Amino acid sequence: MNPSDSDASRFRSTSTDRRGERDLDDLLVHVARGDQVAFEAIYDRLAGPVYGVVRRVLRDPSQSEEVTQEVLLEVWRNAARFDPAMGGAATWVLTIAHRRAIDRVRASTAAAEREQRNADIQTPRDEVAEAVEASLDRERVRRCLDALTEIQRESITLAYYGGYSYRQVAGLLSVTLGAIKTRIRDGLIRMRDCLGVS
Amino acid sequence: MRLLRHDLHALTGAYALDAIDRSAERERFTRHMNGCPSCASEVRGFREVATAMAFAAALEPPPALRVQVLEAVARTRQLPPEIKTHARPKRSRTWVPWVPWLSGAIATAGIVIAVLFGFAQAHTQQELNQARASSQSLAAIEARTMQELDQARTQNQLLAAIMAAPHVRVLSQRSTRGGVAVVLLASVRHQLIVTTSGLPALPAGKVYQLWLIGPKKIVSAGLLPAARSGQTAPVVASGLVAGDKLGLTVEPAPGSKQPTMTPIIALPV
Repeated sequence: MNPSDSDASRFRSTSTDRRGERDLDDLLVHVARGDQVAFEAIYDRLAGPVYGVVRRVLRDPSQSEEVTQEVLLEVWRNAARFDPAMGGAATWVLTIAHRRAIDRVRASTAAAEREQRNADIQTPRDEVAEAVEASLDRERVRRCLDALTEIQRESITLAYYGGYSYRQVAGLLSVTLGAIKTRIRDGLIRMRDCLGVS
Repeated sequence: MRLLRHDLHALTGAYALDAIDRSAERERFTRHMNGCPSCASEVRGFREVATAMAFAAALEPPPALRVQVLEAVARTRQLPPEIKTHARPKRSRTWVPWVPWLSGAIATAGIVIAVLFGFAQAHTQQELNQARASSQSLAAIEARTMQELDQARTQNQLLAAIMAAPHVRVLSQRSTRGGVAVVLLASVRHQLIVTTSGLPALPAGKVYQLWLIGPKKIVSAGLLPAARSGQTAPVVASGLVAGDKLGLTVEPAPGSKQPTMTPIIALPV
């Protein structure tokens, strides 16, 4: 894949420029009518972020592939139920992806094991950078994450990329439940403003 | 135990990141969010942040996955758009936490007005929006919903007229069988508006009937409509006389000429 092209389209699809997002919305409308070519286009735009976020949460490559396949199949099956009023197509798909990954974590009997592994691996932000060339999105998100306080940043990355519940995050960071809820929310507000999300 | 609303609101971030692991807590927040547009919009914004974080973590999946997924897609049937009516109870559940509170000291006319107006219109307006969003073959639903919306507006005009009357009072009483009735009283107009919440569901062939119980005679004030998720839409009763009590009984359908039981609610109005 051509990094500059795909990065540009990814950027559009998550930024204040609504064009890319609308393209995806349109594609999803076609997918809802059984258009497999449109689905291929969706796949090419979103399989990377879906696989990436699932992999961040689950770590295990083969489980991540499984969940990625489930998520994309769910997108195909449920395309007619996508509601643009609730947010764009990319957000719809990636919300499903993250939730399915979390479901897998919480259902997994090996959850404890995974937590141990996660605790051992403390390279949440740079690992992916090695696998894929730096992208505009990554720079933007990193810049905005860096602007947060340490505890905001850690609580958001542990919750989203690590797949921890806010209770677990509170435990990991030795902060009260009330404080962690507030840190996550405040951090997300700052991220939202920094990323220029409406 | 009910969490403070402030605490619930602070959960927008954790909710958007799927970081609430207790399903009861998640459901409580979802219910809260249904009645809290600012929470819902905050969650939407946070989900966009999460989306940007997902793009930032993008990782090219193995090429074989593409083939697998496209093959699976080719042999997987898609689901039709969701136009089920069961979406309704979910929406009206947003009102659940409100009405019981009204029986307490915090009952204010403002809240009641919100409940009364919202009741009729929230359903239909949302349904209309939903129908529009799902487009196409939904013209029939849209037409029906438009009609409901018109009816709701007419009803709202009547409610507005009653509420605009001087010296409107709000009363409430718990029924002896559970549930609560909230009454908005406009004595000057000899009218009142009744809504209920949490009354026990009735077996087929039974209805809830309202009465104006005077010292000398008892007059039917109409039937309660079927409850939606435990709540009944506002009923307007006229012909109120000083000294009346508002009564509620269970009667065989389609209602009785005179009550056949001791009222489960008898509220001096």
